[in-house]
Parts: sequence; structure tokens; C-alpha cells
Amino acid sequence: MHIAEGFLPAGHAAAWTVAAAPFVVHGARAVVKEVRENPDSTLLLGAAGAFTFVLSAIKLPSVTGSSSHPTGTGPGAVLFRPPVMALLGTVVLLFQALLLAHGGLTTLGANAFAFAVVGPWAGYGAYRLARGAGAGLLPAVFAAVALADLATYVTTSVQLALAFPDAESGVAGALLKFLGVFALTQIPLAIGEGLLGVLLFRALTTNARPELERLGILAPAPTPTGGSA
Amino acid sequence: MSGLAVDDAAWASAWRRRAPGDKVLLCGGLVVTALVLPAWPGSVLVAVVAVVLALGPARVPAATFARAVRWPLAFVAVGALTAVVEVGSGGIGWAPDAAARAGSLVGHALAGGAAVLLLATTTPMSDLLPALRRARVPAAVVEVSSVVYRLLFVLLDSLRAVREAQAARMGYSSLRRSHRSSGALAAAVLTRSWDRARRMQAGLAGRGMETGLRVLPEVLPSSRLFLAATAAGLAAIVTTSAVLT
Repeated sequence: MHIAEGFLPAGHAAAWTVAAAPFVVHGARAVVKEVRENPDSTLLLGAAGAFTFVLSAIKLPSVTGSSSHPTGTGPGAVLFRPPVMALLGTVVLLFQALLLAHGGLTTLGANAFAFAVVGPWAGYGAYRLARGAGAGLLPAVFAAVALADLATYVTTSVQLALAFPDAESGVAGALLKFLGVFALTQIPLAIGEGLLGVLLFRALTTNARPELERLGILAPAPTPTGGSA
Repeated sequence: MSGLAVDDAAWASAWRRRAPGDKVLLCGGLVVTALVLPAWPGSVLVAVVAVVLALGPARVPAATFARAVRWPLAFVAVGALTAVVEVGSGGIGWAPDAAARAGSLVGHALAGGAAVLLLATTTPMSDLLPALRRARVPAAVVEVSSVVYRLLFVLLDSLRAVREAQAARMGYSSLRRSHRSSGALAAAVLTRSWDRARRMQAGLAGRGMETGLRVLPEVLPSSRLFLAATAAGLAAIVTTSAVLT
């Protein structure tokens, strides 16, 4: 769930836009550089953005019988790195606001900060830590995708708590409320999205190994003719 | 029928031929007005104006407009309720001015949402993206965004087709199978998107276009009358709101 248009006070909306801007500009620079060096990556990056949008349209089976939608930034963070996701995530948010009425324009900055900056960085951080500690690809992907999902909602809760502090217990009390409503309920869904990520990457290692090798996710498999691995 | 009701409405809207800049100015003005004016009467006025313009002159189907409000409405309801519940030493209770605060939150969100939806249901993304270029967003970024727009309908179609095939083969008959099917579905859509991108690139390179797809943007002339009406309307909302509060 993204913060709806008009929900944040003007000051907060502006402040989060300023906070997200450097990351998005950095992402835009990364994309401009990538496109200048490899002109054909325009279409691959576009495909990645469209995939993130579509992934958030996949219904996730959840234990309670209801269904929810993945945030979709976790796999992208592992595949394309967080700077690129900061830009692609913001583009996806703009499209969700204007094609699905999901999120908003004045809240784009706040949503971009949670969805396109904190989520991907948390997920990618978890992925690198897990791989560094010797975990295999799939456990690392599970950690990355589940954490990217959860971190997004924790950030949304923090943003809402700062905007609407509790009359008696202040920001801390409000944070407790919003975490209870938006993050606690998200834990089973984050686990579900993590599992989806694992199944996605398992299918990719069998069907799209060359692409994963090119993106540096998998070490090139040694070939009988003697590869460079 | 592209599969996204808001996008369909935008292409079919009576305001489709109006200059995107004019519409951005009107809707941007309404969004800002909704945000900064008090909920009563500012937000109410903005919401009424946005809905009347959409259903009236822009001829957006009422059902599309109403359905599109559902998603944000769920968030607004849950968010506003949570914001006005108080956690204190005496347990959980309503904040003293709960009804007024919740009303103000819902009012601002609905008015802003209606204003954004007015833009969304009258202006296709492919009209808005060239406007981003004029706002000095780098060409590469605008180009990647337009590829996202073009590809997402293809991928949504793939998503639907694959899901239908999986469902017909009992792919969603149990929780375990649903998980497997969802994973396979995501992987199939991702590999298809890569495959599409590669084939489009090969097709463009074969035609000597190495930097993506260049298209001639349609020139939709700006209307002075529309701009004057926008300015007058926004001024009227602000003055009415100032008089009534």
C-alpha cells in the first residue's frame, strides 16, 4: 500500500520529496551513463521497470486465505542494484499513481523514499550480507526480497507516525500504532514475497542462466571447452 | 481494450485532444489547492470540481472513476482510523478531536485523489512523457519510461495468459501449488520481458535506429480559454474557501 494522494501534510510531502531526490537523481545518472555506454540497455531497463510494475499485479497467496500483492522491488534490487531501482521504482510509482490511482503525486517523494530507496537498499544489503556469510543464492534472495518488502512498510509507518504523532504518547506511540497496522500484518506477506522470490530465482537459474551470469548473479558455469570461470 | 481501465478512459476521453500542459496545469492546481486549503470547504470544493469536470466535459465513465477510487480508499480508511486512535497510559481510545481529524484527512485525500484521477483519466501516459522531457528530465530517463509504458501492457497480457493456463491445469488448487505457480508465473513474465526487449532492440538496430524508438510527438495546441477558465476556477475555489472559513 502506498500513501494516498493528499494524505500527508504539505510540509511532510515536500520534505520527503527532498529526501528522496538525491537517490532518484543518482539513479537517473546511473541510467543515463548505462544508456550512453550500452545503447541497447534502454530496452532492458524498460523491461525491468515494466516487470516491477507487473510483479506488483501478481496476487500472492497468503496463509490467511486472503491475497495481497508483492512490492516487487526486491528481485529488481538483486538483479539491477539499488541505484537503478531508485529510478525505476520512482517511474513505477508514477505509473501506479496515474494508471491505477495507487499512491499519488504529492506523496510520490515519500512513497519513492520507502519503496524505491529504503526497500531496495535494505534488500540488497541483506543479499550482500547473506552471500558474504556464505549463504547460497536462494537463501540470500529470500532474505533480500522479504526484507525489501518489510523495510518498505516499516518506512511507510515511520512516515505516517512523523506526520500524525499521537496526542498523548507522541511520535513513539504513533509509530507503534502504524507499525501494528502496516508492518506487523505485513510479516506473513513479506515471507510470502520472499518465497515467491526464491521460486522466481529457481526458475531463472534453469531458464535464464545466461542472463543471470551476465548480470553477475551467478558465476559463469565451467564449460567443457574451458570457460573463464 | 488495454486492460487498465484508467488508461482506456484516458484514450477515450473527450479531453484527449487538449494540450497535456493545459491539463497538467488544471489538475496540478487542483492537487495543490486540495493540499493547502482546509478540508472544509476547500477539499470538498476541489473534489466536486474534479468529479464534475471528469464526468461532465471530459466524459469519463462514472463506473471507471468510481472503481479507480477503491484502492486509495482502502488506504485512506485504514490510515485515517489509525491516525485518530490514541495510545496512552489508559489503553487505546479515540483522540479528543477524532471525528474532525479523520474527516479532514479523508477530505484532503479524496480531493487530491480525485484531482490526480482527473489527469489520469483524460491524459494517456504517452502524452505526459514528452512533457517530462520539456521539464528537463534526461532523454534517457524519459525513453526508459516510455519503454516501461509500452511493455507493461504486453507483460500484463502475458501475465493473464500464463495465469489462465496455470489455473486451467489446477495450478492454484492448493496453497503449495499456488506458491509454485506464482513463482513460475513471475519467472515466465520476466524472461518474456527480456526476450521482448531483445527482439525489439534487434528490430530497431536492423532499421538503423540505435538509440531506441524515436517517435514524432503529436502537437496538441494549448487553449487560452481553457487556461483562463483554469485560473478563474482555481481563484474562485480559493476565495470561496476563504470566505466560508
